[in-house]
Amino acid sequence: MTTTAFAYTGDGRRTGAPVVTFENVNKSYGNVRAVADLSLELYPGETVALLGPNGAGKSSTLDLLLGLRNPDAGRVELFGTTPQQAIEQGKVGAMLQSGGLMEEVKVRELVKLACDLHRQAYPVDEVMERAGITEIADRMVNKLSGGQEQRVRFALATAGANELIVLDEPTTGMDVTARQAFWSVMREQANAGRAVLFATHYLEEADAIADRVIVLHRGRIIADGSAAEIKAKAGARRIVFDLDGHISEAALHELPFLTALEISGRTVRIQSSDADATVHAVYGLGLYPRNLEVAGLGLEQAFIAITDAATAEEAAR
Amino acid sequence: MNTLIKLEIARTLRNKKFMFFSVLYPAALYLVFSSSAKGNDKIGDTGLTFPVLYMVSMASFGALTSVLIGNAERIAKEREKGWVRQLRLTSLPGHGYVMSKMTSASVVSLPAIVAVFLVAAVAKDVRLDAWQWASLLGVIWAGSLVFAALGVAIGYTATGDAVRPLSMAIYFLLAALGGLWFPASQFPKWLQNIAEYVPTHAYAALGQSIEVGNAPHMKDVAILAVYLVIFAGGAAWLYRKDTHKA
Repeated sequence: MTTTAFAYTGDGRRTGAPVVTFENVNKSYGNVRAVADLSLELYPGETVALLGPNGAGKSSTLDLLLGLRNPDAGRVELFGTTPQQAIEQGKVGAMLQSGGLMEEVKVRELVKLACDLHRQAYPVDEVMERAGITEIADRMVNKLSGGQEQRVRFALATAGANELIVLDEPTTGMDVTARQAFWSVMREQANAGRAVLFATHYLEEADAIADRVIVLHRGRIIADGSAAEIKAKAGARRIVFDLDGHISEAALHELPFLTALEISGRTVRIQSSDADATVHAVYGLGLYPRNLEVAGLGLEQAFIAITDAATAEEAAR
Repeated sequence: MNTLIKLEIARTLRNKKFMFFSVLYPAALYLVFSSSAKGNDKIGDTGLTFPVLYMVSMASFGALTSVLIGNAERIAKEREKGWVRQLRLTSLPGHGYVMSKMTSASVVSLPAIVAVFLVAAVAKDVRLDAWQWASLLGVIWAGSLVFAALGVAIGYTATGDAVRPLSMAIYFLLAALGGLWFPASQFPKWLQNIAEYVPTHAYAALGQSIEVGNAPHMKDVAILAVYLVIFAGGAAWLYRKDTHKA
């Protein structure tokens, strides 16, 4: 299993029985393999980002986790029971991208419904306050903006004391302020010992918020670790410089520890797993790099590097 | 689940289009149809006058409209929009949604029945015994559950653009064949033979027996019971199928 090498070490909060267990889970739609032999465990107090390009299997994984779909093979457990049972016990709050809202009702009525349906509900006013929808309590649900709708969904997902919160692209359509408020609430939840799992395509969110990042690619886990570990996996450093005169791409490709190379105009961008050695070799080629910069990779580049590598690996097979 | 039922009722009552079609439309149609016929003519072998016969037909029609059209389209739309998915992430048991749809639909069908009764009594001088009014209301209301189940089934069969034509076709066919618009006794013989087994015909026949002063025929009750089993069973099956693909 490729994931063991990057097992989460985090800050030692991984204690107790797993909240979520996936064991060799497979799911196909026709010929498309959405989830391939997926195994993972989530623990209380973890904030986990699920990253992956479109079609990587993020939504399918969340659907399986929530029991909205059944796996073709393998086992999915929440709190040691089936997802359906865990949900009925009020242990799980979820906010789905595909989850619609009831129309022709007022925001407050809908939140009240969610509270009444929850086994360990918080007071309605508290839920509305936390989601920042107190001002729109009397608005009709079908007359809301995208960002407001998203906050209502958030209220529905946090109507009660859940032990696991699952969020699919939660901040889509929110402005910066709303997004910050959202994550501060989520951090509180995680600090209270709850597990938070979110799928996102905002890599900076994963970088800033998650203490564990799982990268999915074509239904497989290709990386699982802290954001720092993912970056390290991708090739640690990024080297950028300008060159005068003729640039020999072939020569640059021969550089040691090179994991990616991109030339645009006079600018050369390199990713390297050993930046010192690579820079040394650049001088060794007799080149004189100007405006030389060596920096750590952002999670975004790391993510692209990892998924590109996975694609190349698959093609080579 | 009570909150869900209450909320479903509240939002239905807020829907003006729905209120017009299911509450006012049958009562208005009743006025139009019953005024075109002579008040004292007896129809076929029923021994009933047009205003009396039509009262049951239109009350049944109104109940049918509210439970069938309301349920089918809304369920299809809510499945599509993902509200059903969202509800499945709550502690509400799996069948809770369907149950609350059926319950709220039947509650909302009451005003439709009462509206027709009122118009008949006030504008057409229909006079019946107290027990007859009460049992008519009860029978028409209870019978509407059969069509509420059908509405759920249709809602789980079709999605999007397909659901409206499908539910409309079934609705009009049921209303016409069941003799809710024109007395079935005026149909050609071969059509009468078919109509006898149409659920809406049995449905209207329940009320007509009461109007004559008899208890409903067991045959009609049996026909409706069979349809209830078929529709509810079909709805449950379709619901489970939908759950698997969600």
